[in-house]
Amino acid sequence: MHQVILNRLEEYLSGAPSPREFTAHLESCEECRAEVRGMQELSSALAALRAPEDVTAPPGFYARVAQRVDRERPRSLWSLCLLDPAFGKRVAFASLLTLAIFGSYLITRETDYAAGPTNPAAIMAQREPADNPDVMLATLASYEP
Amino acid sequence: MDYQNSQEGALVRRAQSGDEAAFREIVERYQSKVFSIIHGIVRQRNDVEDIAQQVFAKVYFSIRNFDFRSSLITWIYKITVNECFDYLRKRKVRRLVYESDLSEDEVRRVENTEPPVDRQPAADVTLARRDYVVKLLARVSEEERNLLMLKEVEGRSVEELAQITGMNENTIKVKLFRARQKLVKAAQRLDRAPGLVAG
Repeated sequence: MHQVILNRLEEYLSGAPSPREFTAHLESCEECRAEVRGMQELSSALAALRAPEDVTAPPGFYARVAQRVDRERPRSLWSLCLLDPAFGKRVAFASLLTLAIFGSYLITRETDYAAGPTNPAAIMAQREPADNPDVMLATLASYEP
Repeated sequence: MDYQNSQEGALVRRAQSGDEAAFREIVERYQSKVFSIIHGIVRQRNDVEDIAQQVFAKVYFSIRNFDFRSSLITWIYKITVNECFDYLRKRKVRRLVYESDLSEDEVRRVENTEPPVDRQPAADVTLARRDYVVKLLARVSEEERNLLMLKEVEGRSVEELAQITGMNENTIKVKLFRARQKLVKAAQRLDRAPGLVAG
Protein backbone atom coordinates (compact mmCIF):
# COMPACT_ATOMS: atom_id res chain seq x y z
CA MET A 1 0.00 0.00 0.00
CA HIS A 2 1.27 3.47 -0.86
CA GLN A 3 2.12 6.02 1.82
CA VAL A 4 -0.55 8.49 0.69
CA ILE A 5 -3.22 5.90 1.49
CA LEU A 6 -1.59 4.63 4.65
CA ASN A 7 -1.47 8.17 6.11
CA ARG A 8 -5.23 8.68 5.77
CA LEU A 9 -6.50 5.10 5.99
CA GLU A 10 -7.91 5.29 9.53
CA GLU A 11 -9.87 8.48 8.79
CA TYR A 12 -11.18 6.95 5.57
CA LEU A 13 -12.30 3.74 7.31
CA SER A 14 -13.99 5.81 10.02
CA GLY A 15 -16.04 7.53 7.33
CA ALA A 16 -14.35 10.94 7.60
CA PRO A 17 -14.07 12.94 4.36
CA SER A 18 -10.82 12.19 2.52
CA PRO A 19 -8.58 14.73 0.82
CA ARG A 20 -8.52 14.90 -2.98
CA GLU A 21 -5.00 13.43 -3.11
CA PHE A 22 -6.26 10.30 -1.31
CA THR A 23 -9.28 9.65 -3.52
CA ALA A 24 -7.32 10.40 -6.69
CA HIS A 25 -4.69 7.81 -5.77
CA LEU A 26 -7.35 5.27 -4.88
CA GLU A 27 -8.96 5.73 -8.27
CA SER A 28 -5.71 5.24 -10.14
CA CYS A 29 -4.04 2.46 -8.09
CA GLU A 30 -5.68 -0.94 -8.44
CA GLU A 31 -3.47 -2.53 -5.75
CA CYS A 32 -4.35 0.05 -3.09
CA ARG A 33 -8.01 -0.04 -4.09
CA ALA A 34 -8.22 -3.82 -3.60
CA GLU A 35 -6.44 -3.70 -0.26
CA VAL A 36 -8.59 -0.86 1.07
CA ARG A 37 -11.74 -2.66 -0.07
CA GLY A 38 -10.73 -5.75 1.90
CA MET A 39 -10.04 -3.65 4.99
CA GLN A 40 -13.32 -1.80 4.59
CA GLU A 41 -15.24 -5.09 4.53
CA LEU A 42 -13.50 -6.29 7.68
CA SER A 43 -14.02 -2.96 9.37
CA SER A 44 -17.78 -3.24 8.93
CA ALA A 45 -17.65 -6.92 9.93
CA LEU A 46 -15.97 -5.93 13.21
CA ALA A 47 -19.02 -3.85 14.02
CA ALA A 48 -20.84 -7.18 14.54
CA LEU A 49 -19.02 -7.42 17.89
CA ARG A 50 -20.80 -4.36 19.25
CA ALA A 51 -23.30 -5.43 21.88
CA PRO A 52 -26.78 -4.62 20.52
CA GLU A 53 -28.07 -3.20 23.77
CA ASP A 54 -26.83 -2.29 27.24
CA VAL A 55 -26.68 -5.51 29.19
CA THR A 56 -27.71 -5.36 32.82
CA ALA A 57 -25.84 -7.55 35.25
CA PRO A 58 -28.07 -10.08 37.05
CA PRO A 59 -29.02 -9.35 40.68
CA GLY A 60 -26.49 -10.49 43.29
CA PHE A 61 -23.62 -10.32 40.82
CA TYR A 62 -21.26 -8.56 43.23
CA ALA A 63 -21.89 -11.18 45.95
CA ARG A 64 -20.91 -13.94 43.51
CA VAL A 65 -17.77 -12.03 42.45
CA ALA A 66 -16.84 -11.65 46.14
CA GLN A 67 -17.33 -15.40 46.67
CA ARG A 68 -15.13 -16.15 43.69
CA VAL A 69 -12.43 -13.78 44.90
CA ASP A 70 -12.54 -15.52 48.27
CA ARG A 71 -12.21 -18.95 46.61
CA GLU A 72 -9.27 -17.87 44.46
CA ARG A 73 -7.46 -15.93 47.18
CA PRO A 74 -4.06 -17.51 47.84
CA ARG A 75 -4.13 -18.92 51.39
CA SER A 76 -1.33 -18.94 53.94
CA LEU A 77 -0.49 -22.16 55.82
CA TRP A 78 -1.86 -20.69 59.07
CA SER A 79 -5.20 -19.76 57.54
CA LEU A 80 -5.46 -23.25 56.01
CA CYS A 81 -4.80 -24.81 59.44
CA LEU A 82 -7.36 -22.56 61.10
CA LEU A 83 -10.04 -23.02 58.43
CA ASP A 84 -9.59 -26.77 58.12
CA PRO A 85 -8.92 -28.45 61.51
CA ALA A 86 -8.30 -31.83 59.85
CA PHE A 87 -5.57 -30.29 57.70
CA GLY A 88 -4.12 -28.59 60.80
CA LYS A 89 -4.00 -31.95 62.62
CA ARG A 90 -2.21 -33.56 59.68
CA VAL A 91 0.36 -30.73 59.59
CA ALA A 92 0.92 -31.05 63.37
CA PHE A 93 1.32 -34.86 63.13
CA ALA A 94 3.76 -34.57 60.20
CA SER A 95 5.78 -31.94 62.12
CA LEU A 96 5.98 -34.16 65.21
CA LEU A 97 6.98 -37.17 63.13
CA THR A 98 9.72 -35.20 61.38
CA LEU A 99 10.94 -33.89 64.74
CA ALA A 100 11.03 -37.42 66.20
CA ILE A 101 12.93 -38.87 63.22
CA PHE A 102 15.44 -36.03 63.19
CA GLY A 103 15.87 -36.19 66.99
CA SER A 104 16.53 -39.93 67.02
CA TYR A 105 19.00 -39.52 64.17
CA LEU A 106 20.93 -36.92 66.17
CA ILE A 107 20.89 -39.09 69.31
CA THR A 108 22.16 -42.13 67.34
CA ARG A 109 25.01 -40.10 65.91
CA GLU A 110 25.93 -38.87 69.38
CA THR A 111 25.90 -42.48 70.77
CA ASP A 112 28.11 -43.76 67.94
CA TYR A 113 30.61 -41.05 68.65
CA ALA A 114 30.59 -41.74 72.38
CA ALA A 115 31.00 -45.49 71.77
CA GLY A 116 34.30 -44.97 69.98
CA PRO A 117 37.60 -46.38 71.28
CA THR A 118 38.54 -45.23 74.78
CA ASN A 119 41.81 -47.02 75.00
CA PRO A 120 44.76 -44.60 74.32
CA ALA A 121 46.58 -47.23 72.31
CA ALA A 122 43.56 -47.69 70.03
CA ILE A 123 43.16 -43.94 69.68
CA MET A 124 46.82 -43.59 68.74
CA ALA A 125 46.47 -46.48 66.30
CA GLN A 126 43.60 -44.65 64.56
CA ARG A 127 45.71 -41.57 64.11
CA GLU A 128 48.18 -41.20 61.34
CA PRO A 129 51.63 -42.37 62.41
CA ALA A 130 53.55 -39.41 63.77
CA ASP A 131 56.76 -38.53 62.10
CA ASN A 132 58.34 -37.75 65.41
CA PRO A 133 58.21 -40.67 67.93
CA ASP A 134 58.89 -38.16 70.75
CA VAL A 135 55.55 -36.55 70.18
CA MET A 136 53.85 -39.95 70.49
CA LEU A 137 55.74 -40.64 73.75
CA ALA A 138 54.76 -37.23 75.12
CA THR A 139 51.12 -37.93 74.34
CA LEU A 140 51.26 -41.34 76.02
CA ALA A 141 53.01 -39.87 79.03
CA SER A 142 50.39 -37.14 79.43
CA TYR A 143 47.56 -39.71 79.41
CA GLU A 144 45.68 -39.95 82.68
CA PRO A 145 43.26 -42.86 82.99
CA MET B 1 -6.32 17.49 36.72
CA ASP B 2 -4.57 14.26 35.73
CA TYR B 3 -6.31 10.91 35.95
CA GLN B 4 -4.43 9.76 39.04
CA ASN B 5 -5.78 12.72 41.03
CA SER B 6 -9.32 12.46 39.69
CA GLN B 7 -12.25 11.05 41.64
CA GLU B 8 -11.84 7.71 39.91
CA GLY B 9 -8.09 7.75 40.57
CA ALA B 10 -8.86 8.09 44.29
CA LEU B 11 -11.29 5.18 44.04
CA VAL B 12 -8.61 3.03 42.42
CA ARG B 13 -6.06 3.95 45.08
CA ARG B 14 -8.54 2.94 47.79
CA ALA B 15 -9.07 -0.40 46.03
CA GLN B 16 -5.30 -0.81 45.72
CA SER B 17 -4.95 -0.43 49.47
CA GLY B 18 -7.44 -3.26 50.00
CA ASP B 19 -10.66 -1.28 50.56
CA GLU B 20 -13.42 -3.78 49.74
CA ALA B 21 -16.06 -1.02 49.45
CA ALA B 22 -13.98 0.66 46.74
CA PHE B 23 -13.72 -2.62 44.85
CA ARG B 24 -17.48 -3.07 45.13
CA GLU B 25 -17.97 0.43 43.68
CA ILE B 26 -15.71 -0.46 40.74
CA VAL B 27 -17.69 -3.66 40.06
CA GLU B 28 -21.02 -1.86 40.24
CA ARG B 29 -19.79 1.00 38.07
CA TYR B 30 -18.48 -1.20 35.24
CA GLN B 31 -20.43 -4.47 35.42
CA SER B 32 -22.89 -3.45 32.67
CA LYS B 33 -20.05 -2.46 30.37
CA VAL B 34 -18.24 -5.75 30.98
CA PHE B 35 -21.41 -7.76 30.36
CA SER B 36 -21.95 -5.85 27.10
CA ILE B 37 -18.41 -6.52 25.86
CA ILE B 38 -18.71 -10.22 26.67
CA HIS B 39 -22.14 -10.43 25.01
CA GLY B 40 -20.62 -8.92 21.89
CA ILE B 41 -17.88 -11.55 21.63
CA VAL B 42 -19.25 -14.71 23.22
CA ARG B 43 -22.56 -16.16 22.13
CA GLN B 44 -23.16 -18.58 24.98
CA ARG B 45 -25.39 -16.60 27.34
CA ASN B 46 -24.86 -19.16 30.11
CA ASP B 47 -21.14 -18.46 30.18
CA VAL B 48 -21.35 -14.66 30.14
CA GLU B 49 -21.69 -14.29 33.90
CA ASP B 50 -18.91 -16.80 34.53
CA ILE B 51 -16.53 -14.81 32.32
CA ALA B 52 -17.65 -11.53 33.94
CA GLN B 53 -16.93 -12.97 37.41
CA GLN B 54 -13.49 -14.06 36.24
CA VAL B 55 -12.83 -10.57 34.83
CA PHE B 56 -13.61 -8.88 38.16
CA ALA B 57 -11.65 -11.50 40.12
CA LYS B 58 -8.67 -10.62 37.92
CA VAL B 59 -9.31 -6.93 38.50
CA TYR B 60 -9.34 -7.58 42.26
CA PHE B 61 -6.07 -9.52 42.26
CA SER B 62 -4.19 -7.24 39.85
CA ILE B 63 -5.48 -3.80 40.80
CA ARG B 64 -2.19 -3.17 42.63
CA ASN B 65 -0.43 -3.41 39.24
CA PHE B 66 -2.69 -0.78 37.68
CA ASP B 67 -0.32 2.10 36.91
CA PHE B 68 -2.73 4.86 35.82
CA ARG B 69 -1.24 4.98 32.31
CA SER B 70 -4.73 4.38 30.92
CA SER B 71 -8.17 4.88 32.38
CA LEU B 72 -9.58 2.13 34.58
CA ILE B 73 -12.24 1.17 32.02
CA THR B 74 -9.61 0.79 29.27
CA TRP B 75 -7.66 -1.53 31.56
CA ILE B 76 -10.81 -3.50 32.43
CA TYR B 77 -11.71 -3.59 28.73
CA LYS B 78 -8.38 -5.26 27.90
CA ILE B 79 -8.85 -7.83 30.66
CA THR B 80 -12.38 -8.55 29.42
CA VAL B 81 -11.38 -9.05 25.78
CA ASN B 82 -8.48 -11.29 26.80
CA GLU B 83 -10.75 -13.36 29.03
CA CYS B 84 -13.26 -13.78 26.19
CA PHE B 85 -10.63 -15.02 23.76
CA ASP B 86 -9.10 -17.22 26.43
CA TYR B 87 -12.54 -18.74 27.01
CA LEU B 88 -13.05 -19.31 23.26
CA ARG B 89 -9.60 -20.89 22.93
CA LYS B 90 -10.24 -23.25 25.87
CA ARG B 91 -13.66 -24.17 24.51
CA LYS B 92 -12.11 -24.98 21.14
CA VAL B 93 -9.42 -27.17 22.78
CA ARG B 94 -12.06 -28.93 24.89
CA ARG B 95 -14.13 -29.62 21.80
CA LEU B 96 -11.14 -30.92 19.83
CA VAL B 97 -10.06 -33.21 22.68
CA TYR B 98 -13.63 -34.50 23.07
CA GLU B 99 -14.09 -35.04 19.34
CA SER B 100 -10.71 -36.78 18.99
CA ASP B 101 -12.12 -39.59 21.17
CA LEU B 102 -15.14 -40.08 18.92
CA SER B 103 -15.58 -41.78 15.60
CA GLU B 104 -16.59 -39.70 12.56
CA ASP B 105 -20.19 -40.92 12.83
CA GLU B 106 -20.34 -40.00 16.50
CA VAL B 107 -18.94 -36.51 15.81
CA ARG B 108 -21.60 -35.99 13.15
CA ARG B 109 -24.31 -37.16 15.55
CA VAL B 110 -23.06 -34.86 18.35
CA GLU B 111 -22.94 -31.90 15.98
CA ASN B 112 -26.52 -32.57 14.95
CA THR B 113 -27.73 -32.72 18.55
CA GLU B 114 -26.01 -29.48 19.69
CA PRO B 115 -28.38 -26.62 20.45
CA PRO B 116 -29.01 -24.55 17.34
CA VAL B 117 -27.34 -21.47 18.86
CA ASP B 118 -24.01 -23.33 18.94
CA ARG B 119 -23.80 -24.19 15.22
CA GLN B 120 -25.36 -21.10 13.77
CA PRO B 121 -26.27 -21.57 10.12
CA ALA B 122 -26.33 -18.79 7.56
CA ALA B 123 -29.95 -18.06 8.55
CA ASP B 124 -28.80 -15.68 11.23
CA VAL B 125 -26.38 -13.50 9.33
CA THR B 126 -25.40 -11.37 12.32
CA LEU B 127 -24.36 -14.31 14.45
CA ALA B 128 -22.54 -15.99 11.57
CA ARG B 129 -20.69 -12.74 10.91
CA ARG B 130 -19.75 -12.37 14.55
CA ASP B 131 -18.45 -15.93 14.60
CA TYR B 132 -16.35 -15.24 11.55
CA VAL B 133 -14.83 -12.04 12.99
CA VAL B 134 -14.03 -13.73 16.30
CA LYS B 135 -12.18 -16.47 14.41
CA LEU B 136 -10.17 -13.86 12.54
CA LEU B 137 -9.36 -11.86 15.66
CA ALA B 138 -8.07 -15.00 17.34
CA ARG B 139 -5.31 -15.02 14.72
CA VAL B 140 -3.71 -11.68 15.58
CA SER B 141 -1.66 -10.74 18.62
CA GLU B 142 -3.24 -9.56 21.87
CA GLU B 143 -2.04 -5.99 21.27
CA GLU B 144 -3.37 -5.90 17.72
CA ARG B 145 -6.69 -7.36 18.84
CA ASN B 146 -7.10 -4.77 21.59
CA LEU B 147 -6.26 -1.91 19.23
CA LEU B 148 -8.71 -3.14 16.60
CA MET B 149 -11.45 -3.71 19.17
CA LEU B 150 -10.99 -0.26 20.70
CA LYS B 151 -10.99 1.37 17.27
CA GLU B 152 -13.73 -0.57 15.52
CA VAL B 153 -15.98 -1.83 18.29
CA GLU B 154 -15.60 0.93 20.87
CA GLY B 155 -15.27 3.66 18.26
CA ARG B 156 -12.12 5.25 19.75
CA SER B 157 -10.14 7.61 17.53
CA VAL B 158 -6.45 7.29 16.69
CA GLU B 159 -5.75 10.24 19.03
CA GLU B 160 -7.55 8.51 21.89
CA LEU B 161 -5.66 5.28 21.24
CA ALA B 162 -2.41 7.23 21.34
CA GLN B 163 -3.39 8.68 24.72
CA ILE B 164 -4.47 5.32 26.08
CA THR B 165 -1.34 3.45 25.01
CA GLY B 166 1.25 6.20 25.32
CA MET B 167 2.37 5.61 21.72
CA ASN B 168 2.40 8.34 19.09
CA GLU B 169 -0.35 8.56 16.49
CA ASN B 170 1.84 7.38 13.60
CA THR B 171 2.83 4.25 15.52
CA ILE B 172 -0.86 3.55 16.20
CA LYS B 173 -1.67 3.98 12.51
CA VAL B 174 1.11 1.60 11.46
CA LYS B 175 0.10 -0.98 14.08
CA LEU B 176 -3.54 -0.78 13.03
CA PHE B 177 -2.57 -1.09 9.38
CA ARG B 178 -0.49 -4.23 10.06
CA ALA B 179 -3.28 -5.71 12.15
CA ARG B 180 -5.77 -5.06 9.35
CA GLN B 181 -3.41 -6.62 6.80
CA LYS B 182 -3.16 -9.73 8.97
CA LEU B 183 -6.94 -9.90 9.25
CA VAL B 184 -7.35 -9.64 5.48
CA LYS B 185 -4.82 -12.45 4.96
CA ALA B 186 -6.46 -14.57 7.65
CA ALA B 187 -9.84 -13.99 6.00
CA GLN B 188 -8.46 -15.10 2.63
CA ARG B 189 -7.07 -18.29 4.18
CA LEU B 190 -10.31 -18.94 6.05
CA ASP B 191 -12.38 -18.42 2.91
CA ARG B 192 -10.18 -20.88 1.02
CA ALA B 193 -10.45 -23.54 3.76
CA PRO B 194 -13.48 -22.78 5.92
CA GLY B 195 -13.32 -26.17 7.64
CA LEU B 196 -9.90 -25.48 9.11
CA VAL B 197 -11.05 -23.33 11.99
CA ALA B 198 -13.66 -24.55 14.40
CA GLY B 199 -15.10 -21.87 16.58
